[in-house]
Amino acid sequence: MIGNDIVDLESALTESNWKRKGYLNKIFTKNEQLLILKSNYPDIMVWNLWSKKEASYKIYNQITGNRIYNPLQFECFDSEQYIGIVKNNGVSYYTRTEINSLYIHTISVLNLDDFEKIRFEDRNSEIIKINGIPFLKNRDKNVLNPISISNHGRFEKIVSLLQTQSTF
Amino acid sequence: MNKEETILKLKAIIKPFVNNEEAFENMSETTDFITDLNINSANIVDIILDVEEAFAITIDNQSMEKMLTINATLEVIETKLAENDRK
Repeated sequence: MIGNDIVDLESALTESNWKRKGYLNKIFTKNEQLLILKSNYPDIMVWNLWSKKEASYKIYNQITGNRIYNPLQFECFDSEQYIGIVKNNGVSYYTRTEINSLYIHTISVLNLDDFEKIRFEDRNSEIIKINGIPFLKNRDKNVLNPISISNHGRFEKIVSLLQTQSTF
Repeated sequence: MNKEETILKLKAIIKPFVNNEEAFENMSETTDFITDLNINSANIVDIILDVEEAFAITIDNQSMEKMLTINATLEVIETKLAENDRK
């Protein structure tokens, strides 16, 4: 399984006002809020944490089939590192986050080894859905690679997880 | 407040965050904020905060968890309003 989430920083700035009363409390834990408030770049920290939660939630959604809106239940750890952890109900998700002046992009996986198996795809990839979960069909190898699509503002990222075993 | 009034009030709250106008025009109770109206997930918080203000209710996390469709949101509003009345 793989999840990813991109935040277009320009869009985020105009679409959301995280300084609004009550906003942070609804989606960030006390520790996460402290990180935001202590940060030299609080805007970046807000969307850094948000993208980690979203990318990990996408895996949760694929595994359980449940759709929920509860960002508080996905708590970020080691958020200032390139590789971080998100925990939800005893499950750990590993996150890798790229931050630049244009966007923040997080990829979430269930095993650290999976970071070696990530491929970036384009729009022309052959994507099929099984029980609502998207896969990339790799005809040469007879395998289905889990895939995750994320878009926001000017950006879109499609990432897949390379499988070696035959899955169809 | 009857259901029609609640729906009207809710529609006005949602409108600024909608990215699919056609789906908004054809809205039904099963309409989904994210998959139908293409609302950015970071803006669902705004909707929840606006709902709290407009209806003078407090939405706990357990209730918030379900608020991805019109129906679910209406149910949460009704339940919370009823709780307020009992206080």
